[in-house]
Amino acid sequence: MSSKLKCLLLSGVIITLFVFPLAYGQNKFKLKPDAKGKLCLSCHDNFKEKLKNPFIHTPVKSGECSECHNPHTSSHGKLLDADPNKICNKCHEGIVPKNAKSNHKVVMEGNCVKCHDPHASKNKFVLLKAGNELCFDCHKNIGNAVAKVKFKHNPVEKGCINCHDPHASTKGKHLLKNDLVALCVSCHKTDRPSFAKQHMNYPVGKANCSSCHNAHGSDKAGILFNNAHAPVANRMCGQCHEAPDSPNALRTKKTGFELCRGCHASMMNDVFNKNRVHWPLVDKVGCLNCHEPHASEQKKLLTGEMNSLCGKCHPDTMEKQEKLAELERKEKEAKASSKGAAARGKEGAITHNPVQGGECSACHLPHASDSAYLMNKPFFIESCGACHDWSKHATHPMGAKVVDLRNKNITMDCLSCHRSHGTGNRYLIPFPTVTDLCVQCHKQYKR
Amino acid sequence: MKTLRQHSAKRIAHGVMIFFILLVIGLYSLVESFSAETVKLKYIQSVYFDEKGAGMKQPEGIACNDKFLLVVGDTENDRLIQYSFQERSLKAGTEIKVQQLSNPIRLQINSKGEIFALDGKKRRIIRLNPDGTFKTYVDGEGVPSPSTFVPRSFKIDPQNNIYILDIFSARVLVLNPEGKYQKQIPFPKDYGFFSDLSVDSKGSILLIDSVRAMVFSAPKDSNSFSPITKSLREYLNFPTSITNDNRGTIYIVDENGSGIIILGQDGSFLGRQLSMGWNEGLLYYPSQICINERGEIFIADRGNSRVQIFTLVK
Repeated sequence: MSSKLKCLLLSGVIITLFVFPLAYGQNKFKLKPDAKGKLCLSCHDNFKEKLKNPFIHTPVKSGECSECHNPHTSSHGKLLDADPNKICNKCHEGIVPKNAKSNHKVVMEGNCVKCHDPHASKNKFVLLKAGNELCFDCHKNIGNAVAKVKFKHNPVEKGCINCHDPHASTKGKHLLKNDLVALCVSCHKTDRPSFAKQHMNYPVGKANCSSCHNAHGSDKAGILFNNAHAPVANRMCGQCHEAPDSPNALRTKKTGFELCRGCHASMMNDVFNKNRVHWPLVDKVGCLNCHEPHASEQKKLLTGEMNSLCGKCHPDTMEKQEKLAELERKEKEAKASSKGAAARGKEGAITHNPVQGGECSACHLPHASDSAYLMNKPFFIESCGACHDWSKHATHPMGAKVVDLRNKNITMDCLSCHRSHGTGNRYLIPFPTVTDLCVQCHKQYKR
Repeated sequence: MKTLRQHSAKRIAHGVMIFFILLVIGLYSLVESFSAETVKLKYIQSVYFDEKGAGMKQPEGIACNDKFLLVVGDTENDRLIQYSFQERSLKAGTEIKVQQLSNPIRLQINSKGEIFALDGKKRRIIRLNPDGTFKTYVDGEGVPSPSTFVPRSFKIDPQNNIYILDIFSARVLVLNPEGKYQKQIPFPKDYGFFSDLSVDSKGSILLIDSVRAMVFSAPKDSNSFSPITKSLREYLNFPTSITNDNRGTIYIVDENGSGIIILGQDGSFLGRQLSMGWNEGLLYYPSQICINERGEIFIADRGNSRVQIFTLVK
């Protein structure tokens, strides 16, 4: 066999193996050459208007409707050819890198249509809305704050994507395009004398900028977080840190609670006079377990909202709350859709409002207490009584003189029958029914 | 030729012997693991009062030894109560009240019968004579910088060495029986919050991380801790106390979940015992746990203002 013939045969095999399936894939429905797109538009007439938009999704533009839709049958809505949360990945597979440090929840859920129109739009990248308007649709709190703040941060005004990658980031948390400090110093030159002067000559060029500054803007000059620690607001860094020209200028003069005790002596003395201290307050991290040292968005310089803050160490309690809230939501939905007896049979809360709302301090003292469980009152009845008028609610005898029949060493209070963090049962009782609860003591009525 | 045969016979005999030894070891391990897997707590009795009939109030500390001594830290009443528990019979219930001690939250007894108590209010360890009179404070004589230490808990080993969980300087301090500094072991890098420690019969120090729900261990003579379990969150809520029996089995008190978690000495999960409630045999926010060599388990059932006594059933 001549070498020419060999080449021809090999080419034939290659064409058969690779080109034919490709061609088949591109026209799997065997459409007539001039039928692509046009055929669909012959029925979907109103779609023509949509296609007048300046930005059209590539397959739509080339009339490849069948790239996403199956013209005959489908197991998915809108005759989509695959799961709507996965279909975009067919072409846009690498949109979330494997080594991403942070990713956008909607992207991970495959909800691309929350931001993009799959067909056409008047905005670049077929986005549903232009600029920050799109982001603030979901991130309303940030949108509202950005609109109101007195001191605005220029890049935020120009667009969230100046700092954030909308899909995922391999370099930083919170979808930041780069490590936080690197991102900030790309605009704010740390070697300038003015930078040093503004930071009282402390070498903060590599420090965490968001420890003091709110990148989204603030009502305080220098876009410091609205709640700034007095020494920071008064530019008195030396109250806590070594001198700016010392070898370890950013090191604090003392560690743990001992550093804070200098100014907050009265509060600390009060705390240490109590019978029980919240242990993290006296560990190596001390006050900074819960408070920011410089500035914070939260009142009292807390590091976060109380439910997430307390949940950091007490995940068991907080995870339980999420489950209970979900249970209650489902029951409410079921109740709304049911009628008659089924609806009447379900009364009494499963969740406790202060716990759900993350108001842990409604019952507990965060620093120290004379009472067990760091309760804010010596007796549970008093703590509960701050919100509930138990003497009207319960006819059951309670108080220091009423002994619990289950245990001769404790007396009756609200927690004899209820558990304030919830149990999954109505009225926050530890048993499925009220009868089950009552017969614990009143055994004569047990059936 | 004969010598060769004799030699072969000897080798076969040795092989058979080794086989049987291995078989015995294997069977023993099997029995061991089987017995460990079936550890259960059987309720014996509850203790509510001292000898004068005064009730306990939120007791958090408890200590026991092999000489039938049981001491309870009656926390809210700022006192200790000393009992004798022998052949399932509880005697005495003598009150120990010293002005140097308030809010006893952790207790230990050394081999001389001296009682050690951690004062939760002053965050200081106090040492009492066997008769309950004040002896001294355990202030860690010679502790290197940082000199500040805040004891969250402590343990005493059979040789009377004192191990202090110092949360302020993130370390375990080891003191000799006289209370003089011997060494320190830093906490591991990634941890949540350590609430208690224990020392097993091999001298390994165990730490219980309440936040990450993990157990860390530092073998004897080691200067670092490493985890021996993954997160135990699926088995418990918020662990706050840890101890072990003389066979190395680990017992953890799940305070928020009101139960006892049992682990093998390698950290393997063996089971969960007891549950939340007010009736006898149930727990309500338990605190410290103590086990003696007879397998009697004493639990400070804080929320129920009592002490409960169980025995190990295998």
